[in-house]
Amino acid sequence: MQRTPLALLNLIHDRKKFLTSMAGVAFAVLLMFLFTGFKNALYDSQTQLLEQLNGEIVIINRLKENMFVPRSFARRRLYQAQAFDGVAGGYALYLSDARWKNPETNRTRPVRVIAYNPSDPVLTMPAVLALQQALRLPNTAMIDSRSRDEVGPRETGVITELADREIRIVGTFSLGTDFASGNGNLIMSDQNFLRFFANRGPEETERSFATADIGLLRVAPGTDIDRLVATLRDGLPQDVLVLPMDGPEGFIARERTYWEVNTNIGFVFSLLTTMGFVVGIILVYQILYTDVADHWSEYATLKAIGYDNAYLFGVVMQEAIILSVLGFIPGLLISTLFYNLGAAVTGLLFQLTLGRVVNLYLATFIMCLISGAVAVRKVQRTDPAEVFGL
Amino acid sequence: MNFAPPSSVPPVEASIQVRNLSYFFGRGDLRKQVLFDISLDLHPGQIVIMTGPSGSGKTTLLTLIGALRSATEGSLQVLGKELVGLGDRHLVEIRRNIGFIFQAHNLFESLTASQNVEMAVELTGNFRGKRQQAVDMLSHLGLAERADYKPAALSGGQKQRVAIARALVNQPQLILADEPTAALDKQSGRDVVTLMQHLAQERGCTILMVTHDNRILDVADRIINLVDGRLESDESPQQFVDSHAPKALDQKMFIM
Repeated sequence: MQRTPLALLNLIHDRKKFLTSMAGVAFAVLLMFLFTGFKNALYDSQTQLLEQLNGEIVIINRLKENMFVPRSFARRRLYQAQAFDGVAGGYALYLSDARWKNPETNRTRPVRVIAYNPSDPVLTMPAVLALQQALRLPNTAMIDSRSRDEVGPRETGVITELADREIRIVGTFSLGTDFASGNGNLIMSDQNFLRFFANRGPEETERSFATADIGLLRVAPGTDIDRLVATLRDGLPQDVLVLPMDGPEGFIARERTYWEVNTNIGFVFSLLTTMGFVVGIILVYQILYTDVADHWSEYATLKAIGYDNAYLFGVVMQEAIILSVLGFIPGLLISTLFYNLGAAVTGLLFQLTLGRVVNLYLATFIMCLISGAVAVRKVQRTDPAEVFGL
Repeated sequence: MNFAPPSSVPPVEASIQVRNLSYFFGRGDLRKQVLFDISLDLHPGQIVIMTGPSGSGKTTLLTLIGALRSATEGSLQVLGKELVGLGDRHLVEIRRNIGFIFQAHNLFESLTASQNVEMAVELTGNFRGKRQQAVDMLSHLGLAERADYKPAALSGGQKQRVAIARALVNQPQLILADEPTAALDKQSGRDVVTLMQHLAQERGCTILMVTHDNRILDVADRIINLVDGRLESDESPQQFVDSHAPKALDQKMFIM
């Protein structure tokens, strides 16, 4: 036999009130999930293309501070790099923005074109590898199925115009949008890239194979990547920047840090998350305080018959913890729905990782503990002598 | 004023021994004395009713004896322990040996009758036998069938009996009751005090009861009258009725 579970029984005694309480906590949890979700989605989305790139070391123009900056570097640097020991291969990646005509509305929208030699395994998604041959045909491209609705149908067989030139879609792949991608992504061969962007008229930059936007290096097995990066930095001219792909100093981390540090996204969404947290504290405090106030004479009686403050503290804290668990679960489930909805509408990457779920549960837990600690003071101040003569 | 115990009581050690107890509310200029130099002995097996006009300090005295307030002046021994000068932590310990019955039943609506009583049993650390102990006590009070009902499904008298079961389940040597019949109809009130009378006789415990309910004065062995914080009289019910009733009133008005 155990101690009577007073906290739980008090909470669930009034079903309607209990459901309202749970909904309140779930709402606060939902707010926190949505705001951190948007923040993370914006950051995660910035790096989702980079994470697909097949290479351990990256060469870029020193001025290309982030993916938004259209600065290319001399492609011969890539060949120079391949001469170093430990470099197994080097691939050039070409990027450009272009106007895409929605075949249904005939309105043009900016999209990002990602181009490379189809013989190079730059993007290793199975859908892309399967269509290497089709990409070699003139004026063909694959379209990102997670592009925004504004680009029109994202399916094989679409024929429309890209940069005022006819293009045929030969397949789809799944990537997703970010700040630099406009409304969607296209993949094409480097030859087609030249067809579209070599002679674009006086107002646009002319592209050729002399320059590339991102250089990818594959290293031989067993190579110390950090040392090779240091060697390449010493050996290559200073107009390019050599970065490892992963790691705290890597290309992906740099891109993420840029958006975190140089935009207000983080501040705005952290502020909103904090507000969700505070709303939660107030809601849970109201719930617990009402419980204490409603049962004031019963709690005072417990004190009179010999229960101490520690026991009453325990009861209120248990109520807080039960609320944090029972409110978190529906909050999490509803948030999952919103994440899927958000991903479908925006094309951004909404990731619900275990770490993020655990972090937000901890926040919920702390939120309930703070509320409990404030509410419990009412019980602790209860003077048991006042039960007499009530 | 020092009232010697009535001669009919055998000379056993008193459950409660009060000597020259004074008590003040407030501090500084607002300090107000509510109890003046009270001395009193209560013995096992006695039912003592405390009466007096409101504001006379009887509830204060009850809470002092119940270790719910700490006394500062005089001497107050409850169940052999001196309470004057004791800290909160020790007062909690003392309270565990006292059964409290309040005017309101103060039962948790979320707990069944049995669980409400079990809450008191748990204070003794007896988790294994708590259900049995609670049900036994409820059966004793005629609530065997109601053990698993929540307070909302019980009548006023039944709820008060559950509250009494909670006060008695740990077999305390001292029971303090504050207007236990005030919220009850005549018959339920009578049942409740009869029950308390039986318990005092069976278990030899001391019962101190504050009440204005004239219908139940007859169960008392002694009636203490408190006026303006001073003990005015300490008599048997018969004496009390004789001395307090205007001549025109029949004593049956008080003893029914």
